[in-house]
Amino acid sequence: MKVKQILRSGLLFLTPIALLLLGWEVVATLEIINPALVSRPSEIFPLLYELIMPKTRSFLGHSIFLDIYTSLYRLLYAFIIAVVSGVTLGMLMGRNKLVYRFFDPLITVLMPIPGIAWAPIFMLWLGFGDPTIITVGALAAFFPIVYNTAAGVRSVEKKLVWSARSMGADEKTIFLKVFLPWSAAYIFTGIKLALARGWRTIIAVEMIAASLFGLGFIIFDARDYLRPSIIYAGIIVLVVIYFLIENMIKLIEKRTIEKWGMVRS
Amino acid sequence: MTITRSQIIKPFYFVLPFLIVIGLWELAVDMGTVSSRLVPSPSLITLKFYRLMTPEPILLNVLYMSFYRLILGYALGVLIGVSLGILMGVSNLLYRVFSPILSLLISVPTLAWVPLLLVTLGPGEETVIIAIFLGSFFPIVYNTLNGIRSVSKHRVWAAHIMGADKATVFFEVLLPGSLVSIITGLRLAIGYSWRALVGAEMLAAGISAGVGQMIYAAKAFNDVEAMFAGLIIIAIGGLLLDRLLMDPIERKTVEKWGMVKER
Repeated sequence: MKVKQILRSGLLFLTPIALLLLGWEVVATLEIINPALVSRPSEIFPLLYELIMPKTRSFLGHSIFLDIYTSLYRLLYAFIIAVVSGVTLGMLMGRNKLVYRFFDPLITVLMPIPGIAWAPIFMLWLGFGDPTIITVGALAAFFPIVYNTAAGVRSVEKKLVWSARSMGADEKTIFLKVFLPWSAAYIFTGIKLALARGWRTIIAVEMIAASLFGLGFIIFDARDYLRPSIIYAGIIVLVVIYFLIENMIKLIEKRTIEKWGMVRS
Repeated sequence: MTITRSQIIKPFYFVLPFLIVIGLWELAVDMGTVSSRLVPSPSLITLKFYRLMTPEPILLNVLYMSFYRLILGYALGVLIGVSLGILMGVSNLLYRVFSPILSLLISVPTLAWVPLLLVTLGPGEETVIIAIFLGSFFPIVYNTLNGIRSVSKHRVWAAHIMGADKATVFFEVLLPGSLVSIITGLRLAIGYSWRALVGAEMLAAGISAGVGQMIYAAKAFNDVEAMFAGLIIIAIGGLLLDRLLMDPIERKTVEKWGMVKER
């Protein structure tokens, strides 16, 4: 019964996509649009295979896994920097009114700036490659974390703190047993947003600040050689990776926040 | 209307941190702690703004071009996004056809489409406008769809029983019921569009003027002042779009009709 259900929902999900690919193939075969400019599924999927398993003289000269790896470690570094700095500042802002008043306006104004807009300045300071890409990615991911952490700490009910204190808890205990668990769900929301934002920003910045490797770099580079198939293949890889990251987060959320009963109502 | 004390104090508290940062920044650059070739002082950036306005108001042209693209792309996104969202919300068949495709495409970073657009449409206006469209389309269609589907079936049935035809059900039940969600989508989308605009203008080499283009062109000349000026415009522009445009729309429609969820 369960297998049947999974098959059914899988079929319902895949049929429209298969139809879309088929329609696309037909339109491309009719050559309504210049075939040098648009690709078609029957070219993209073999190419994707070749990108994964490169022959001796393939287009990229390396497996696309190297680009995936490069983009992912950039994301990881950026993410770690953003979490450490964002949670720290967010906690300080949540606990101290003066710190909050100082940083809140700055964050309000700086947060909407798209990550890629910072790229030229950081390229001037740090040059091409990893330092710029990771820094800009971290900057983009920092804002949602700090914003949500501060909101989470500020949402802690005063009564909880008072009762903990009246029962003799010291500041450290209050922080670890009251503030941290209470704001965990908020921090998690910030982290989710930050991962998505960091990922987007890193792909974008790779287009202008990367050299040789990275998913953003190869899809932007392919434009110069009029190879739309590579761009499509790259986009497919982006979709797959994002899908994996998203499900990983959901799993972590289920195992931690939900299990501990900290989901925001 | 009398001006209350908090109406003066609030903006003051908002501006104060900026004054402090700008003051320290100016001091650090002037004393030579930071090289002015890498970090221009606030006074130099102000001078840059002045130069962008005189003798010719280049800045106005830059803003005009960017907003023109933004409005075109966003309008396209609203038009197609709201229509498709409503159709998908009303028709089960359309929902089944489009939702798998949308759920895959929604995860593609908007700027990842840009190389593709550059190849097919060329490095001109079309690419930037379509990129803005793509940025705004997904949050709008997603929120419209969710809004319509979240309207309770009981209300629709109740309206049917009382003799309402399909059009009446749509305009009197479904649309008001999903308005909060639709406006949320529109609001998200304006931020997404702004971001897509800046990115696409940086990547499309063929456009003549624009905020993103200004920053990217400044890179070629190591013109840090222009980069910072561009960043300031982007920050203020994004904030104004959200606060001056979307805030009143939200207040005039959703809040006025009392449809915001109780908090």
